Amino acid sequence: MRRGFKKLGLLSLFMAMLLVVLAACGTDTTEPEKTSSDTETPKESDSKVEETAGEVTNASIKVVTTMAGTDPAGAVFEELLKEFQAANEGIKVTNESQSADAGTIRTKINTDFTSDNEPELMFYFNTVDAEGIIKEGKVIDLENAEGVDLSGYNSMLEQQRNADGKIYAAPQTGFYEALFVNEKLFADYGIELPTTWELYEKAIEEFAKTDIIPVAVSTEDSYYLVEHYALAAGGMENYRAELADKNAAWAEGLDLIGQHAKMGAFPMDAATIDLSIAASLFQQEQAAMLFEGSWAWGSIKEAGIGENVTVLPMPIKSGGVTGELVGGASQGWFISTKAYNDDTKRDATVRLFNFLTSEESILRLAGATGQIPAKGELTDIDPRLAVGHKLIADAPAIDAPINDRINPESFTHMRTSVPEVVSGAKTGAQVLDEAAAME
Amino acid sequence: MKNMKGDKLFIILFLAPAVLITSVFLYFPFFENFFQSFYKTDGFFNSTFVGLDNYKRLLADEIAKKATLNSLQLMLYVAIFQVGIALLLAVMVDSIKVGAGFFRTTFFFPVVISGAAIGLLFTLIYNYRNGLLNEILVSLGFERVLWLTEQSSLYMVAIPTVWSYVGFYFVIFLTAIGKIPQDFYEAAQLEGVTGFQKLTKITIPLIVGDIKVCLVLAITGALKIFELVFIITRGGPARSSEVLGTYMYQKAFVDANVGYGATLAVLMVVIGLTLALVTNKLMKSEDITY
Repeated sequence: MRRGFKKLGLLSLFMAMLLVVLAACGTDTTEPEKTSSDTETPKESDSKVEETAGEVTNASIKVVTTMAGTDPAGAVFEELLKEFQAANEGIKVTNESQSADAGTIRTKINTDFTSDNEPELMFYFNTVDAEGIIKEGKVIDLENAEGVDLSGYNSMLEQQRNADGKIYAAPQTGFYEALFVNEKLFADYGIELPTTWELYEKAIEEFAKTDIIPVAVSTEDSYYLVEHYALAAGGMENYRAELADKNAAWAEGLDLIGQHAKMGAFPMDAATIDLSIAASLFQQEQAAMLFEGSWAWGSIKEAGIGENVTVLPMPIKSGGVTGELVGGASQGWFISTKAYNDDTKRDATVRLFNFLTSEESILRLAGATGQIPAKGELTDIDPRLAVGHKLIADAPAIDAPINDRINPESFTHMRTSVPEVVSGAKTGAQVLDEAAAME
Repeated sequence: MKNMKGDKLFIILFLAPAVLITSVFLYFPFFENFFQSFYKTDGFFNSTFVGLDNYKRLLADEIAKKATLNSLQLMLYVAIFQVGIALLLAVMVDSIKVGAGFFRTTFFFPVVISGAAIGLLFTLIYNYRNGLLNEILVSLGFERVLWLTEQSSLYMVAIPTVWSYVGFYFVIFLTAIGKIPQDFYEAAQLEGVTGFQKLTKITIPLIVGDIKVCLVLAITGALKIFELVFIITRGGPARSSEVLGTYMYQKAFVDANVGYGATLAVLMVVIGLTLALVTNKLMKSEDITY
């Protein structure tokens, strides 16, 4: 009997340990409970940022950004965090940044916010991705927040203004998407650079006769391809249309992709490769052109072909002017409402926000990637990068990528249907109809 | 009677952790998933009850139909070739006297490699421009071949799928064959039974229970095929190799339509359970003990 009790005791101990382990995996509940009134903007007297600046504050702040993985800004960001913590004893910053690749950052941010575990500060997409977070009042209106410094910004700040008139995100850098061109290959084959639509089509024709792939793209993972062909087919005015308009230029853009595929413009296996394999064809100088974003310069230089490459705006076929660009500043710094309403964290969070969005920090982060800073100007930049900065400066019009502003399901349908347009199974108008029906 | 009561207590205590863990990590998510299938939701902030709309959409969804047919086709290849080749290899390895250990390790090896690594490996093998197969063809003076076309993509995905898991069933069969007493074969030999007859009259009938288990595992496992298709073809070209796993992932995680993704997951569970039950029913046999 005693032996039975002993066994029972051991079993109970095991069960208790199991429960402890499971409980330890749960959410930290040490945060003070918030009432509904806590979500309101705090009274002026609650915020003493100006007065407390320089004082020792004890707080632990969680920061989530996309400056991780292969992002060259990641190392600079880590340095900045170290400097901030050295200058602000008592403030501990936990960096939970994740690469923007594969969209896992979206799942992390959404999960964190829905499980009451949101970061105090985040550098995230101020696009359709942040709509739910903003609607739920999970982030604060920066313009009306005590202590938040939004001075010194260029026009990128205004681009962040939400449909409700408020600014929830402070930009860091801007980007552009364009046609990366291997000038050396064009010179070697005696082909003119694609500065007009006719020259672009001529370049496709000429390279198609050689062993060089004219344009390195994936027709399935075709974010840049769809956007640039929609822009080319109708210029910026049509590019800015809503999906519900079923704009004829968007449909024509999709059909033009099909026509160019038949001319041999794209890799033979364009329907099954992804963006990274397409980019590697360009980096290995097996392809003459590539649609990419300004962040591609890092890998182009790493591949050792930076000297051979320049960047051109997508040539416009009709309805606009060549020089119009897809771009902007789609990411920004958000402060969570929970952190701002927490007396123990507000000061430290606002201080870190102001530090990271100061002109000096922004220039250091922009310098690492060659992107266009949202404050100040980069000096002594690589002449190749300067070409891209000039593109932005000279652009008659710039607008955000299509997938930043339409229902993700509709855009996925558009881009994954491109191989069917190429094979002739569907027309551009048909794909557009189907995508619009998903909204 | 007193002892029985004690046993019950131990049974409950021993089963409790398993019940707890399966409930939290399997049954709760399953019911939650079923619940989500009645909503138009991104899984986070936006959620609207839509009743049976997702199921109506599923019935009219051509891509879902194609993905289901592709999944069933893959299931057929897996059931025939994965289990068939594994049985053949097990019989062959069992019959050799030297090097059985080497073959056992070699055939089992792909099982321990992650699906993602195998996917990447075959991506590099099939790649049109710089892939292994085309490099060999070019070096031999032939033209490059587009291996992943709308007609061929599903077969090309089936090859690594079958190869990567043959070893698992091979080990099960080898163990099952090893358990058959040698006396049976010796007696058969005295009766003049030939090598092939030994296989059909003794080996296969005596391991039919294991074959049944392997078939059920292969059939239900085929519905979970995801990473190889996702990495090698991305479901393409033109959705020709789309399977339920990749389509469900796309809807739930790429398109942020968790409600419809959950509906596709329910379909996968229904198909899996139905086929497992049917297979069990069709292959019902008396357990053989020896």
